[in-house]
Amino acid sequence: MNDVIRDSLDHCVKCTICESFCPVSQATPLFPGPKYAGPQAERYRGAGPSPDSSVDYCSGCGICTQVCPQDVKIAEINSRARAKVWERRGIPLRNQLIARPTVIGRLGTPVAPLANWALHNRAVRTVVQSVIGIHRDAPMPSFAGKTFQRRSRNHHAAPGDAPAVVYFHGCGTNYYEPHVGEMVVAVLEHNGFRVIVPEQDCCGLPLQSNGNFPAARTYVRRLVDRLAPHAREGLPIVSNSTSCGLMLKREAHEILGIDEEDLKIVSGSMFDLCEFLAGLHERGALRTDFQSLPLTVPYHAPCQQRGHGIGKPALDLLALVPDLKMIELDVDCCGIAGTYGLKKEKYEISMTVGSRLFSDITATGSDLAACDSETCRWQIAHGAGVTAVHPIELLFRAYGLDRTSRQGLVAAAMRSASVDG
Amino acid sequence: MSSLEADVLVIGGGSTGAGVARDAALRGFSTILVERRDLADGTTGRFHGLLHSGGRYAVKDPSAARECIAENRILRVTAADCIEDTGGMFVSTPWDDPEYGDLFLEGCEATGVPAEEIPAAEALRREPRVNPEIRRAFLVPDASLDPWKLVWGCARSAEEHGARILPYHRVLELEVDGDRVVGAHVRSEHSGEDLRIHATVVINAAGAWAGQIAELAHCKVNVRAGMGLMIAMNHRLVHMCVNRCKRPADGDILLPLRTACVIGTTDVFVPDPDETEIRQEDIDLLLDEGEKLVPGFRQARALHAWAGVRPLFEETAEVAETRDVTRSHALLDHSAREGVAGFLTITGGKTTTFRLMAEAAVDAACLQLGGPRACRTAEVPLAGSESHVLYQIGSRLAAREPVPRAEEIICECELITRHRLEDAIKQRDTTSLDDIRRLLRLAMGPCQGGFCIYRAAGILHAGGSIDQAAANRTLLDFLEERWKGLHPILHGDQLRQARLDDWIFQGILDVEHLPA
Amino acid sequence: MSYDTLVVGAGIAGLTAALRLTEQGQRVLIAARGVGATHLAPATIDVLGYLGDARVESPAGSMKALLAASPDHPYRHIPADQLAASLTWFTARAGTLGYVGSLEENMLLPTALGVPRPSALAPQTMSAGDLRAGGRFVFVGVKGFKDFHPALIAENLVRAELSQPVTARAVELEAPPGGLGDLSGRVIAGRFDDDDLSHWLAGELVNRTEPDERIGVPAVLGVRSATETWGELERTLERKVFEVSTLPPSIPGIRLYEAMARALRAGGARIVHGVRVVGAHANDGRIASVDVVNATGTVSHPIGSVVLASGGFASGGLELDSFGVTRETVFDLPLIGVPTTERVRFAPGYFDAQPLARAGVATDDLLRPVDAAGRPVYTNLHAAGAIVGGAVPWKEMSGTGISIATGYAAAEAILAPATLAVSEAVR
Repeated sequence: MNDVIRDSLDHCVKCTICESFCPVSQATPLFPGPKYAGPQAERYRGAGPSPDSSVDYCSGCGICTQVCPQDVKIAEINSRARAKVWERRGIPLRNQLIARPTVIGRLGTPVAPLANWALHNRAVRTVVQSVIGIHRDAPMPSFAGKTFQRRSRNHHAAPGDAPAVVYFHGCGTNYYEPHVGEMVVAVLEHNGFRVIVPEQDCCGLPLQSNGNFPAARTYVRRLVDRLAPHAREGLPIVSNSTSCGLMLKREAHEILGIDEEDLKIVSGSMFDLCEFLAGLHERGALRTDFQSLPLTVPYHAPCQQRGHGIGKPALDLLALVPDLKMIELDVDCCGIAGTYGLKKEKYEISMTVGSRLFSDITATGSDLAACDSETCRWQIAHGAGVTAVHPIELLFRAYGLDRTSRQGLVAAAMRSASVDG
Repeated sequence: MSSLEADVLVIGGGSTGAGVARDAALRGFSTILVERRDLADGTTGRFHGLLHSGGRYAVKDPSAARECIAENRILRVTAADCIEDTGGMFVSTPWDDPEYGDLFLEGCEATGVPAEEIPAAEALRREPRVNPEIRRAFLVPDASLDPWKLVWGCARSAEEHGARILPYHRVLELEVDGDRVVGAHVRSEHSGEDLRIHATVVINAAGAWAGQIAELAHCKVNVRAGMGLMIAMNHRLVHMCVNRCKRPADGDILLPLRTACVIGTTDVFVPDPDETEIRQEDIDLLLDEGEKLVPGFRQARALHAWAGVRPLFEETAEVAETRDVTRSHALLDHSAREGVAGFLTITGGKTTTFRLMAEAAVDAACLQLGGPRACRTAEVPLAGSESHVLYQIGSRLAAREPVPRAEEIICECELITRHRLEDAIKQRDTTSLDDIRRLLRLAMGPCQGGFCIYRAAGILHAGGSIDQAAANRTLLDFLEERWKGLHPILHGDQLRQARLDDWIFQGILDVEHLPA
Repeated sequence: MSYDTLVVGAGIAGLTAALRLTEQGQRVLIAARGVGATHLAPATIDVLGYLGDARVESPAGSMKALLAASPDHPYRHIPADQLAASLTWFTARAGTLGYVGSLEENMLLPTALGVPRPSALAPQTMSAGDLRAGGRFVFVGVKGFKDFHPALIAENLVRAELSQPVTARAVELEAPPGGLGDLSGRVIAGRFDDDDLSHWLAGELVNRTEPDERIGVPAVLGVRSATETWGELERTLERKVFEVSTLPPSIPGIRLYEAMARALRAGGARIVHGVRVVGAHANDGRIASVDVVNATGTVSHPIGSVVLASGGFASGGLELDSFGVTRETVFDLPLIGVPTTERVRFAPGYFDAQPLARAGVATDDLLRPVDAAGRPVYTNLHAAGAIVGGAVPWKEMSGTGISIATGYAAAEAILAPATLAVSEAVR
């Protein structure tokens, strides 16, 4: 049986293009670069224990695979090699913990005010750093107190035969940013859709990136079980987290090796939220009753958003909004790389990686920035000191839904109640 | 003309010759070895690296099988650094008669080769790239042997015990005095100077060229040259030595050799061991056989192709196919055969049994050197293998941890640091990048020197051992030499690489317009 | 979003075509497997450096001889004034990189082996290395940077065939503080951008070089601020400084890529990496939509025109399989320069003439790939760069010249009023 990921190392002609893009190898000597750690080192990895641990410093941003002109699956090779390293060493408690956002979510949500206080208390964070290994300055979001899942139970969609769309909201929206979920639903409903929010759990991406492949597969299969029946009916699935969406589109198959029909069908039905809305526009089915939004906002496309290979639909959509000027930033990575930048030994690296992005954002003079991934938003807010929003929020406001819809009021209330990361 | 004296002069720097030199030196004989090119540039450096368990011979050549398993065990102890314990497997593909497996097991049992049948599913679990349609599988203690490490390990051991190892010294004449050979007249290929070597016993270990050497003493050694083609694939498609479970034929072995894996081999009689042209039909045969063992083989990247020449000694003239000539070695004492004293030929055989061949040769030489002396090569480890730790594929990678770029890495594919390169240049006292290649595996990875050859030429030049003209020449020679092994298999990914390398050497560096 | 033109490939040919179209108001999508060869090549604009074995002094003056010797050459579709216009256009778009030079005479810039290499245009950080006026040169290497060997460069250079004599010597600096044993060109360039190394370099060089020596350094003076860094170095040292191209990654190439990508983004073009163009759907010989494979699957883009700038074998635009069959990998177009009656067999000498060296698509004067009868395969498909057959760019030193000339010409063909009219009609 062919191992497509490992075999792709054959395509490597050592051109160094990946290395010239890798933000981590430029920020730290502890990572030798993607060409080295990926296709080159893979030739030295036999059936036995991993000979190299420096591959653990790969952040998994995936830029290398995107820029490789020869179709080498560099980031995927690294991901698997990293999992082998951790399989042997045993995954430490910290990584087990941060790899399970639903566990953290379930623990923190009932005691949100206390948990939020603790997470943003310097003394507590110092203890957490030395005991668990999460850097005390690493950007942490705030628990919303009532999950998006619970809120969506109270939401009554308009009846009728409106076309349906399934919403895969992800852990970030569920535990920390339910207001974003509300906006997503509002925008979709504004465009005539009935939004189905199935019961759902984590997609397993943090488990995968922390090297726990068996647990990650369990999570993927559980999630796919929930989504597959809808996909089989031909319904599109939208996700507002570009990393989680990519996990289901591609990584669960390529990195974890899951080959089942159900996953294939879900992958084929998965859309990034902006991709979906831009597709509507292409078909002339998107409402364009946008009001003026006179702002200048820098936009950062997360690494994993670019991994979808869909271009930058957020910019295409926001170009429709009168008076809104989006600045397309050209820096590749904010540094957080999911859970990478939370780790004590990687935090500084992640901040160095993101430093150019932070200064480019600051240079625009805007106190607002747009970005499709929640962890990137938290990092940007932390590093550049601006408010970071999902592009959907700008569309939501441009539609005037912040004033006219119930969600708008609810969202506004949640926004002002939350403590910014 | 200057001259040297020794008890033993060994002609031939392959595994046999180096083994003889080591054995003789360990027994306290003053020893000189001459080799017309670089050590291991003949058959030894061009085989696929299989340290036989004997399984391959268990049915057809039981005595060879017994020799192999005995030497296999010895070498794992004495040449540990040269050997990777990959293990081996014989598999019955849909093209192989599954009943041969029973013959195989019986043969192994009879010859003492440990063999264990495992379920096909288990075999596929260990080797997921192997054809999923295999029906039977058997585990054997095959291993992967690095021929250059082996030969250099022997040569260094010999030097440690006082021997002189002289590569790039070509034998022009054997000096005969009456009815005995008393030495040889050699020429240094580098300096052009001639040298006379007087020796009590001359041992002809020239492998496929043994016949040519023997003629210099008017002796007849009928060695047939069987050319075998091999293709190195860019990465390990298999981690064990995988053999087809059938009567030995072409293209029935696929095994790891350091970072690559090698498919081999063919068997074509060639009248001149120095004339080995690679034929397209043999390339296609190997690729097709590879496809049977590993589906998708033709899409995998072929890195390099080369031909080695087996020495097949035969007493009689008529044989159907060279493969049927015995693979066991032959020790010829020319004083008994032709009345020429002081001259022995040790030929035939295979690298796996080199130590045994060397022992036989030096035992015979002892009779003309004052009496028997004990052979210690089965106990004393080779230079570099004193720790008895078997080689591990990840060792070069592990050695670079935790900060991989802490040292300059010159050849990135094969992880060769500047220090190692400079040490090798000094140690070999060489100005040839090709010599360094054989010692360190320089430029043997996917890019085939695209990046490292410029660097290595610059370092050689900066070190002061060669001038600008020689630096240019060694770079250009390397490109020509490398091309010989590339052009027969240039397709797919390797063609992409070659074209990028053209852009680097011609487009960026403009080597075609270097000053004369 | 709908696009007017889809460009396949993000090398200099693709970027040129895309930028020319974008600035003329088209909505352009660049779909590329990855980043192009711009990151690997020296970033000089090589129009024609060698004709056979002879060094070319004037590319403009040698065109006729070239086309007589190679009638299939891509330059045959480029009228002289368009070639000149494309280079003028390129020089303007490359902005602060400050390309200098002309079609009338080649510069001779030293390679990292010390061979004088002809180029028509070079960025100002490299142009002071022009050997034609002779003079005194010193080449500077850095311990730990393995891709530059100044002693070998100097010794080869003084023996090179030059009309004016040069003297050359070498200096090797100790590694700058704060680096690793194995220095990467990209990391060094980043440190120059962060203003971490200029002071160190100037300090090292001021006492070790003579006032009349031109200083050759490896091409690592930065990505974002290389021109400023270089300018400041010259001012501080009061000497001429020039960068020498070496093994990939090509830092000057990265600068060029960034400059063009920035201009493309500013113009509203979209560059997507990590996707694969796998085919087209055509009506009446005209491409209606192009299939692009991304993370989800295959997306069909309705499109007005297509530019194929997928590169040659090195970039994967062409491939040769193990059975000896050559293919154009995106649209399966017919090829020239490929043996048809027998299997490909490479010549045994590395420098011998090799088959497939000129392989690629043949085109008409609108740069549209044609079949054996000379008819365009698709009426709205154009080709640019190394995918166009008939040249051996790494021997002729013509790669970037062909890329810019054909990329520009393809764009002009698409923008021609007749072409646009048809596009509109079909829409």
